[in-house]
Amino acid sequence: MDYPIWDLSMGGGVLIALVAVTHVWVSHFAVGGGLAIAIVETLGVRRKDPALRHLARRSSLMLILISTVFGAISGVGIWVTIGLVQPAATSSLIHNFVWGWAAEWGFFILEVATALLYYATWDKVRPRTHLLLIWLYFFAAYMSLVIIQGIISFMLTPGNWVGTRSFWDAIFNPTYFPGLFMRTGICLLLAGAYMMFAALREPDGASRAGLVRLMAAFQIAGGLVAYGGYRWWESALPESVRAVFLGSSPLVPALGVTRQQVLWSLAAFIALAVFAWLLPRAQRWPVALAGILAAFAFFGAEERVREGARKPFVIRDFMFSNGILVSEIKDLNQRGILSKATWAARESDGTPVSMGRAVYRAQCQACHTVDGYLSMRKLVAAPDADTLGLILEVLRSEGDEYTSGKYAERGHIATQKLDYPAMPPLVGTAQEIEALKAYLLSLQAPGKETSNAR
Amino acid sequence: MPASLIPALDPAALPGPPWLFHVLWVVTFLIHLVFVNMVMGGSVLAALVGGNRPGAREIQGFFVEVNGWAISFAITFGIAPLLFMQVLFGRFFYTATILVAWWWLGMLGILTLGYYLNYIAKARLKAGKSVRAILIIEAVCFLAIAVIQVAINLLHLQPGRWESVAQQTFAALLDPTFAPRYLHFVLAAVAMAGAVLAFVGTRRAATTDDREACLVMARFGLRAAFVATALELADGFWLLLALPREVLREFMRGGAATMIPLTAGILLGVFLLVVLSRIADPLAQTKDVRRVAELLVATVVFMVLTRHQLRDIYLAPWRGAEQVTVATQWGPLALFLGVFVLCVGLTVYAIVRAVKDKPGPGEAAA
Repeated sequence: MDYPIWDLSMGGGVLIALVAVTHVWVSHFAVGGGLAIAIVETLGVRRKDPALRHLARRSSLMLILISTVFGAISGVGIWVTIGLVQPAATSSLIHNFVWGWAAEWGFFILEVATALLYYATWDKVRPRTHLLLIWLYFFAAYMSLVIIQGIISFMLTPGNWVGTRSFWDAIFNPTYFPGLFMRTGICLLLAGAYMMFAALREPDGASRAGLVRLMAAFQIAGGLVAYGGYRWWESALPESVRAVFLGSSPLVPALGVTRQQVLWSLAAFIALAVFAWLLPRAQRWPVALAGILAAFAFFGAEERVREGARKPFVIRDFMFSNGILVSEIKDLNQRGILSKATWAARESDGTPVSMGRAVYRAQCQACHTVDGYLSMRKLVAAPDADTLGLILEVLRSEGDEYTSGKYAERGHIATQKLDYPAMPPLVGTAQEIEALKAYLLSLQAPGKETSNAR
Repeated sequence: MPASLIPALDPAALPGPPWLFHVLWVVTFLIHLVFVNMVMGGSVLAALVGGNRPGAREIQGFFVEVNGWAISFAITFGIAPLLFMQVLFGRFFYTATILVAWWWLGMLGILTLGYYLNYIAKARLKAGKSVRAILIIEAVCFLAIAVIQVAINLLHLQPGRWESVAQQTFAALLDPTFAPRYLHFVLAAVAMAGAVLAFVGTRRAATTDDREACLVMARFGLRAAFVATALELADGFWLLLALPREVLREFMRGGAATMIPLTAGILLGVFLLVVLSRIADPLAQTKDVRRVAELLVATVVFMVLTRHQLRDIYLAPWRGAEQVTVATQWGPLALFLGVFVLCVGLTVYAIVRAVKDKPGPGEAAA
């Protein structure tokens, strides 16, 4: 919040989602693909089956091009994007998890080195050495998942960390193991989905059917593990998080719909995998393509649900999605939001509307745009001045609910009991809230503030 | 610029002593830079070498092959310094990147393009096709990334320039030290890539019949290293004199701590030129060629130290009131050190085994 504001018409959250979802589609294949290739080549060597070895070989180029190139760059891309959109949250995560990330980096070194060596040593080393390289690769890739899962799940369910500030409490949070189990399944199903294409390139019909069946087995096993993990993950969530997207009337209806997409796309994926397993000779690339698209739809939706369920926080019970800390609500109500949001404040010329615009940019722009994503102009089109004032007053009073401890239990806040459970509370002085109201009312006048970005 | 535009220090305590983060940052950045120099310098040289001259395809092939893994390692070893730097100077760094957000984000697209172009060049070289245009675009990609990196680096050091860049993004390039700093970076990369090319050329000559191609490689590499180092020395003085007066003054007042690394770097550069000028027949003077590569790496070590010291001096006025608290996370720190030792050990073991293991007579290969 005290950082410059990057004006993005699509909204920062959407950009993070685009980069992150693209990355996980690739990075989880990098893990599962490592295991699948290791198993395929091990079987190929033991059975002296050239078709299996060719499948491993074909897949290894895909692994290099997707994992070490695109996966590595898009992984850095997530970091770049969250640093641009959520710098305060990024800084907070870095301070808590720097040694965890550094340990993950150690595994990256081994992962990249063994991936490149594995690809480069086809026809050059003995099979035993080659197998050692791919198993080492898988070990490193999976261990990086073991670490990063702790950080990802922490943001949604920080658990005891809220009170203890312990690294281990943060890593081994309530959804760590369910999430890891689910992601392990996703790694397997994505490995089967990607490598199905390599299996279909096998020229010999009988061998091709065997390979298709093997890849379908990966898909089915992965799909079932992912389903079990997903349901386990849902059951491990606190009630306030479950209320966001579960039940007959979820607090964020769009997330409720996305959750349906999670289940149906996974069901479609498993059905296609069962088809391939039962009728391997009938498997063709359009079906494989449908399978991988279903896998992407499932995983993308699951990530959307997980990210969206954090509302109104970026780190639950600690930092709101606009970078304001729960612990600083009282202080900012007294000093004013613009005393901290100096980059936004510098754009104000002192008039109520310009001050209100600065308050909007400091507090609302993390999620809303004026005319684009979650358009503020559309949201304020209907209410009159009195109603708008009342809404803002309720939003401000909700800050007290967060700090009074009324809805808190061991640091966890039952946001579902609030009037606006998916919105951070409004903070600031009475003058700033009045200014915000003036600015929002100015949006109702046609032709004012037409920029999509702001 | 009002000091209030500098974001507040993160309220969390540092999870380790600051000196440890500085050491880890410098060491990992040094390794990152060696790979970056190979990638950027190699791409430039591969693009510059004429397609028709003898040995050109060997030179192009060498750099394309090296880039295939050096880009991966440059990225991997870039993660660690980025991580440790954010612990110490995150509020300066995030602000600088947000001010040129599209550049910073766009850098990833350029990097992806450059990396995939290298794979395309590799495939085309294998097929005997022309690669010149691809290599030129690839080199432009990496040179563009260097522009972005240098601009952000300078911007995070100088909060006084933030307001002007917030008004006009291209003001990020309007710093008197931008041009000499950028050149300093690019020329060092070209010199290192040239030296490594020459070193590999002389090594290959011992095991191949095509000594002529190896000689071309070595001569081209040494010439590139000589020209780049000579220009680098001149550019280094330009950079020094272009520094803001107060920064230069503080740097000079730093005594042995700042003067020794700088002087050592300059003297090594001069010595490097002397060694380079004495090599008339690279294939016969293999020890001298190896010394060139060693001297270049040593020079980079001292220059990285100097760069780090300059950062502290630049930022000192803005960090005067910083009240840093430290609460070392001993367990996680031990975890990192254990994992690091394990992974580096396994990596070395994997490399040695992959290089040494050969199928015996009649034995099948993987």
